[in-house]
Amino acid sequence: MKINNKLEGIDYSFAENINKISGQNVYLCYQCKKCTSGCPAFSFMDFSPTNLMRYIQLGLKDKIFKRNTIWFCTSCYTCTTRCPQDIDIAHIFDTLKIIAKKEHIKINNKSILKFNMVWMTIIKYFGRIYEPGLIAIFNMLNNNPLQNFDLAFKLIKNRKIKLFPSIIETFKMMKIFLNAKRLK
Amino acid sequence: MKVSYYPGCSLHSTGIEYNISTQKICKTLGIDLIEIENWICCGSSPTHQSDEILSIALPIKNIANSKKNNNINEICVPCASCYSRLKFAQEKIKDIEIQNKVEYIINSKDYHNVTVFHLLDVIIKKIGLDKIKTKVKKLLSKFKVASYYGCLLTRPPKITEKVKYENPDDMESILGVLGVENIDWNMKTYCCGASFALIQPDVMLELTKRILEDAVSAGANAISVACPLCHFNLDSRQKKINKKYNTNFNIPIFYFSQLMGLSFGISPNRLGVFRHITKVKEYLFNKELL
Repeated sequence: MKINNKLEGIDYSFAENINKISGQNVYLCYQCKKCTSGCPAFSFMDFSPTNLMRYIQLGLKDKIFKRNTIWFCTSCYTCTTRCPQDIDIAHIFDTLKIIAKKEHIKINNKSILKFNMVWMTIIKYFGRIYEPGLIAIFNMLNNNPLQNFDLAFKLIKNRKIKLFPSIIETFKMMKIFLNAKRLK
Repeated sequence: MKVSYYPGCSLHSTGIEYNISTQKICKTLGIDLIEIENWICCGSSPTHQSDEILSIALPIKNIANSKKNNNINEICVPCASCYSRLKFAQEKIKDIEIQNKVEYIINSKDYHNVTVFHLLDVIIKKIGLDKIKTKVKKLLSKFKVASYYGCLLTRPPKITEKVKYENPDDMESILGVLGVENIDWNMKTYCCGASFALIQPDVMLELTKRILEDAVSAGANAISVACPLCHFNLDSRQKKINKKYNTNFNIPIFYFSQLMGLSFGISPNRLGVFRHITKVKEYLFNKELL
């Protein structure tokens, strides 16, 4: 990504970093608000996806990580689908989450990071997701141990949940995770 | 016709009815589903939000497994989320740098020339509506169904290669053959917030409520889905939504494969409809299917 006519006082390194990781050029965004109009989670966000794109363009990193917007993306890809400039906005949301995790940025609501961590650990050792384990461990870490407790009984009664995990290729899975770690 | 079958984690637990009914209708339609031996999790949303290279390596590993064990170049995926991850991985691995990394991670190079289909695509493109017509034994004439596709079955169209991604009609065309009255409604591809079910339950309840509300006000008396996560959300959260928003939802949610099975004359019990959280017994009784 080459930026012509750089203005003084603007930090371009953040947008360049995002471009390097995701391949997306935020300077293509001309603020048409199509992404915000279609976003199902917008009413829960501190600022809109359109604003997010502007903040990245201006390098306002603090503003982005102090607010909740990036953590409310449901990965529905409506913004990506409708963007007239063909920017993969949902992928930028993911990239920001990865940056936050990598740089140990302090965030207010850690529940999504905890959820992802539990999920990744389970598939690393079991190969497939084990839902009762996922729910129990996540609820415990999230200080809400009884969340969905009522539903659990119904699921067991209706034989809709697997009580015991299936362990698939544990060693091969661990090798995959180890190899991925080596590449970093 | 033989295809590799990648059920995904949900179809072995909370979406077990989808697995059962898919196997049943495929048997009737002459599709031979061969489950990929030792398939692993596709990674789903938590992986693409935390580790991009793993989110490509895990689906590719499954595709490589399918080639190695089944030697079939077509994979049928019933779960919309898994389908999306597999398609995404195939697109992203076209980049040489990513390709080298993934091949190192999974220690395999044989994953090329494989086509990933969603179950709906297999039925429409490979079987066709004419063949379905010959298998119909009962017309589901009193069913007024809103077909719900969710996010990942059609979006983003660059990945899914769907032409009608804002207003898809694959499910409607199948259900139309079964004699179902298709309802025209707004929220066919709206997000139900399934990925937030545990993390931000308030968001999930609000989004799911919007979908149920629109389907009911459009005149639907059932909703048909093609994704285990959408089904779980729409089916099991109705009681909670009624409590929170003071509403009165009690609408049965079926997998499209269950509706096909009912129409093919397979007994409701064998399609797993009684495992749903929102009860369907009375509904089926009123429609003279019990």
